[in-house]
Amino acid sequence: MSRFANLPDYIQGVTFKIWEGRQIASLHKSYGPDMIMRSTAALIIGTEGVIKDTLASQAAFPDREILGDDVIWCGTEKDGYLSSHRSVIRGRHTGHGVFGAPTGKVVTTRCIADCFVQDDVITDEWLCYDFSSMVRQLGHTPRDWAALSIEREGGHNSSVRPFTPDQDRPGPYKGTGNGHELGKRLADILTRIMDYDIAVIGETYDRAVNVYHAGDVTGWGRPFAEAQWMQLRTAFPDAKFEVHHTIGRDDKGEPDRAAVRWSLTGHHTGHGVFGAPTGAPVHIMGFTHAEFGPWGLRREWSLWDEVAIWKQILLHDAT
Amino acid sequence: MKGFSNQFKDLPDYIVKITKEIWEDRGLATLHHYYEKDIPMRFPSGLVRGNAGVIDGTLATLAEFPDRALLADDVIWSGNETDGFLSSHRIVSSGTHTGHGAFGAPTGKQFRVYTIADCAAKNDVIDDEWLIRDVGGVARQLGWEPSEFARYQIKTEGGPDTCQRPFHPSHDVQGPYTGRGNDNEWGAKLATLLQRMMDKDFTVVRSEYDRAVRTEHWGARGAWGCEFVETDWMRLRSSFPQAAFRIEHQIGRNDAGMPNRAAVRWSLTGKHSAHGYFGAPTGAEVHIMGITHAEWGERGLRREYTLIDEVAIWKQIHLHTGNVT
Repeated sequence: MSRFANLPDYIQGVTFKIWEGRQIASLHKSYGPDMIMRSTAALIIGTEGVIKDTLASQAAFPDREILGDDVIWCGTEKDGYLSSHRSVIRGRHTGHGVFGAPTGKVVTTRCIADCFVQDDVITDEWLCYDFSSMVRQLGHTPRDWAALSIEREGGHNSSVRPFTPDQDRPGPYKGTGNGHELGKRLADILTRIMDYDIAVIGETYDRAVNVYHAGDVTGWGRPFAEAQWMQLRTAFPDAKFEVHHTIGRDDKGEPDRAAVRWSLTGHHTGHGVFGAPTGAPVHIMGFTHAEFGPWGLRREWSLWDEVAIWKQILLHDAT
Repeated sequence: MKGFSNQFKDLPDYIVKITKEIWEDRGLATLHHYYEKDIPMRFPSGLVRGNAGVIDGTLATLAEFPDRALLADDVIWSGNETDGFLSSHRIVSSGTHTGHGAFGAPTGKQFRVYTIADCAAKNDVIDDEWLIRDVGGVARQLGWEPSEFARYQIKTEGGPDTCQRPFHPSHDVQGPYTGRGNDNEWGAKLATLLQRMMDKDFTVVRSEYDRAVRTEHWGARGAWGCEFVETDWMRLRSSFPQAAFRIEHQIGRNDAGMPNRAAVRWSLTGKHSAHGYFGAPTGAEVHIMGITHAEWGERGLRREYTLIDEVAIWKQIHLHTGNVT
């Protein structure tokens, strides 16, 4: 951490430099040449792919700002750090690119990036943009956008595959978090929700909780949180839920907080936001950040990529 | 909590529980106990004396919005059992307009706004209060422009001669609470920050705020980043550039497990003498009651909540110009 005060400072500094600072080429230094980036949209291997992806985003949204809402982290200088970075991303769609011809619309979305940092270099990553919120703001539905993407990428056979575990490659990071009680607390809540024990929300959430879920769906109160989680689970009722990484932190002057990376892997066998069941095999990479207060969990942010889910469903339908 | 019912473990617990009991649990009559008989309640819309008025006001609001929910987002507090407590309670208030009332015939529309209530509490009783509801935010969500809604208020309250007067310090009465908050550094930090903006030193935003700050302002408007903060405060100050700014009360807290945070009640008193948030200058004498809550993180002030009541300001402007219809 030579040039930086601490890990959050490093993450925020590097992010700013790459995006607003236009030092896209600095990714050659800040990202490892063989890094594995598991974006919900696709597996990207190596810095070259990340650089091209970053350039494409900046070309489409040249004034894009990445506002670092929080960095929840664990690890040490010796073993490396895992940073779970929650950001708000805002930019005007003035360039051609993955989102088609410029629309002039200002798009605000969220992102959570879990990065493994060793000696000032990022060598392993798990990443989720709230793509469905972006495509909605650009005038599409997540389903239509997924269908359009498949078509633009050359159809069923050549379309880019959203990330699924069978594509995964082992990266240098083997950790599962910091074993902190606040991380366990959040992992337990999520596990109980996924075990259909929805009552856990009434027991552990503040009644004034504020929730952000994929698709820029926001609301207040326990009934809202319950409805949202049930809506997700019911589309994939038999999917296997796994907790992959858990961080808790009780920093002085900061809210008690936690970051959990999880997944659902199974089949689209239930009715819900993804329409009638199709039986499609689906993998959902999920990220949840939470802040706790005196009356329970008071702020929750959960991201997964609804466009990537639709794409898996549509690619299955086409077979 | 000496002097308080033993069902309450601390002041925030007391505030959150009695708020729920009064509103969602329909315990309007408990206000005979929880509110001092002669309590002065200072709304931006006017001064109300006594718990009977509070009970009738609560009933009228519930009749208009029966599903009104009050979610306790935070309680930032100071004081002790002997001198009395001051609770600055930030609430997320929502409801559906299904009944007749201050906003006219039912529209079936829903609203969600922030409210901040500064309540003085001693011996299980609230005996002094300052309360800002985002009336402009409610009005907008129910289909009114705040300026038009102020005209509607003047008309339905009997016209410019008899309508309720928005609160002005010249109407104030001395209540039992005489505290000015605590001397915690975070309260001082927020007070200084507000003072600098009101002294037109807007460089303070980029130097003190996190660039990823989330702001929730009056009118149910929120945004990310420093630009909104600068612009919105400038537009407010610009309408009343010579008004006197005063810090009325300040609290700071650094509780374990919570972000460092502060609550400051402030006021602007003076003439509507320039262009800005409230249109062309009218010369109206205006008093603005404001409350700001803030949370800090490692990179500066990261969440700011500020309420004023735009409708009460428009009402003062309309009553001055006589342009009330």
